[in-house]
Amino acid sequence: MDILFLLVPLSVILALSFVVVFYWALKAGQFEDLEVPGRAILDDDDG
Amino acid sequence: MWRSQTSSSPLPVPADTVLEPPLLRPRGASLTAGPVLARAEAYQALDDADVQAQFSRPADKPHQVESWLVIEGMSCASCAQGIEHRLAARPGVISIDVNAAAGRARVVWDAQQVRLSSLFADIAALDYRPFPVQQIAADLTRRDERRKALWRLFVAGFCMMQVMMYAAPAYFAEADDLTPDMAMLLKWASCVLSLPVLLFASTPFFANAWRDLQARRVGMDVPVALGIIITFVASTASLLHAGGEAYFDSLTMFVFFLLGGRYLETLARGKAAASLESLATRLPDSVERLAGWPASQAAQRVVLHQLRVGDVLRIAVGQAFPGDGVVLEGSSGVDEALLTGEGRPVAKIAGDGVVAGSYNLDAPLIVRVERLGRESRFGEIVALMARAASEKPRLAALADRYAGKFLVTVLVLAALAGIVWSFIDPARAVWVAVSVLVVTCPCALSLATPAAVLTTSGLLARRGVLVSHPAALEALAGAGRVVFDKTGTLTHEQLVFTSLKSLREGVDQDWVLALAAAMEAGSLHPVARALQRVVAHDTVLLVLTNLREVRGAGVEAATGGHVYRLGSAAFAWPHREIADQETTDGIATFLADESGPVAILHFGESLREDAADSVSELHKLQVEVSVLSGDRDASVRAVAAQAGIADARGAQTPEAKLAVVTAWQSGEGVAQRIVMVGDGINDGPVLSRADVSIVMGSGAPLSQSDADLVLLSNRLADVPLAIAEARRMGRVVKQNIVWAAGYNVICVPLALFGLLPPWLAGLGMAGSSLLVVLNALRLARPRVRQTAMES
Repeated sequence: MDILFLLVPLSVILALSFVVVFYWALKAGQFEDLEVPGRAILDDDDG
Repeated sequence: MWRSQTSSSPLPVPADTVLEPPLLRPRGASLTAGPVLARAEAYQALDDADVQAQFSRPADKPHQVESWLVIEGMSCASCAQGIEHRLAARPGVISIDVNAAAGRARVVWDAQQVRLSSLFADIAALDYRPFPVQQIAADLTRRDERRKALWRLFVAGFCMMQVMMYAAPAYFAEADDLTPDMAMLLKWASCVLSLPVLLFASTPFFANAWRDLQARRVGMDVPVALGIIITFVASTASLLHAGGEAYFDSLTMFVFFLLGGRYLETLARGKAAASLESLATRLPDSVERLAGWPASQAAQRVVLHQLRVGDVLRIAVGQAFPGDGVVLEGSSGVDEALLTGEGRPVAKIAGDGVVAGSYNLDAPLIVRVERLGRESRFGEIVALMARAASEKPRLAALADRYAGKFLVTVLVLAALAGIVWSFIDPARAVWVAVSVLVVTCPCALSLATPAAVLTTSGLLARRGVLVSHPAALEALAGAGRVVFDKTGTLTHEQLVFTSLKSLREGVDQDWVLALAAAMEAGSLHPVARALQRVVAHDTVLLVLTNLREVRGAGVEAATGGHVYRLGSAAFAWPHREIADQETTDGIATFLADESGPVAILHFGESLREDAADSVSELHKLQVEVSVLSGDRDASVRAVAAQAGIADARGAQTPEAKLAVVTAWQSGEGVAQRIVMVGDGINDGPVLSRADVSIVMGSGAPLSQSDADLVLLSNRLADVPLAIAEARRMGRVVKQNIVWAAGYNVICVPLALFGLLPPWLAGLGMAGSSLLVVLNALRLARPRVRQTAMES
């Protein structure tokens, strides 16, 4: 059970790092248009 | 050729509607149809750095520029793909994102490799209309705010999930499974992950609450902020003193739910506001100025802010007019849908006025600018809308007051509940107080009503009905009687030529008309204008000499060896009274030469085409209809009868009109709310006396009118439509208030008795406010019946 004293703080750090990753994604405009890129996959023409 | 319109039908269709080309298009298609400028020169002005600065900013790398465009005509996501492919294939385009839903595009391009004007031309070549985004600063702020809101939502949601993981063992553990130090560890972990929620995600609640407190009032966010602080402080205290309960899971959860609800609300409301704002992007960014017109046709492209009144411009097909002006040369159809909601093009020929923000559709026009910017009709409309937007509806103001009292009550209740529960069960006292604070939802009162008013105003604006006092929509919903003025309201504002009567044998009626029109060609008198409309513009006019206008009497001119006089009977043939056997409702003008009277021309008013339909529509809405006019009783009755109005009162002085309206309002039997429809020119007092005043858009200058609604469309049919929409709005507001009352009556006691945990309270409040806003936004969709009425 002692391992939890390491794992729980680790999970806190992991959670905070996920927050940072999401911050980057948002800043980079990944969530600006949720519609067009989804349809672009179905588009044959890759011009 | 002269158009022979000598038949004596009493109310012929006015000439300007006859001229309309048969270019019927379905509504909504007006923006995509029509040829578009696909040459780069058309957008040359956009290559100017000053102009670009309005909708662009430097990108991360040198020489790269980020520009925002509005693209009109995109109907689906595949349109956006087409544009993206076309532009991405061009060298110099670093990246392009087209958002079909918003009708926006963001282009990053290299200024050393490509010109912006050619990118615009590319989009135009695909048959879309590109515009630079006009207020990029406001737009970027809004986008940044949206991003931040999403970011807050994510932080709250993510931390919430994680805190839940740490809280779960405490809920599920058997008596001895969880050692105290392990429980402590989990609580500390929860506390650490709650910090981002408290310090970052919840800041809008704190900021709003602080602003409210500074203004010495209790707003919606005060209880919420208080709830968050109390929960965090109590939980952290229990952590430090190793006693009591921690509520980090509840805290993160209700913050998440509240933020989620609020985010969806802003998205939905942003859409409603955008439809009003889209008006402001209509003006073109640059125009072709013909400095040497009419001597030379040399054109020079100038940006909008360099234009001056009096400039002569060539407006190409597909372009918008930059200001109000007069057509000097050419004939074309013009799309004024953005201002009037009318989808059909309006024919324009030399001498006709054009309005800023409307589109030229068929052929190039040469136009002289008469009013620009704020003075143009477009500017007036934008200013009116801004005024309307800043005015708070009466009901909403009232609701705000109630909401304030309601919230104070809630604070007191929460404090009482906390105190009472600390005697019953101290462990739950904080929990109950927080639930009470969070669950209450005054949003239906202070949030949903403005949303409903805004949505209905937006819907009506798209139809060409401008609501300048939103409060009037509430009064309009309760309208009991609509009172029309006659001239310019039930009838067209212009006179029309109705009939011609020869007073001499062998006189050709077409010739008389042509002569009369020629004599009046230079005049702006209503009779002259009516004559000019009857006789086609390409008529070879008679050669007149010694043309002389006698003010207030008539015109005298010589042709073919005779001297003719056109005007009042006394002026045309002063020697003897002309026997005018016929009594008509209108104006009679006489033509005479040296030897005696030649003909009588009659002019009259023509009923608006949609008057009768509108009246029957109003009857269907259970609204009584009356006509009040200062004109002769007989003619008022005649016009009213044609429109199907039984209650017509003519020969009314302004004082009498006021008395009649006041009598209706105080009620002979039942008090009625009176809607007065006038032209806004000579019925000011009675318009302001009425509960709701509506003026026709073609009447007085908009900036001077203080009417509640302006029918820019000049369609009477929009009166019943506005009433129907106002009623629909009233119903939705009522639904929202009933819902909010019911919700609070049920949930507050539940929270008081400790049956509602804080997280459920947060979910309840977020759901409730989202529900009322979505309900209000239902109003954005017009009902099917209106489109049926239109065709």
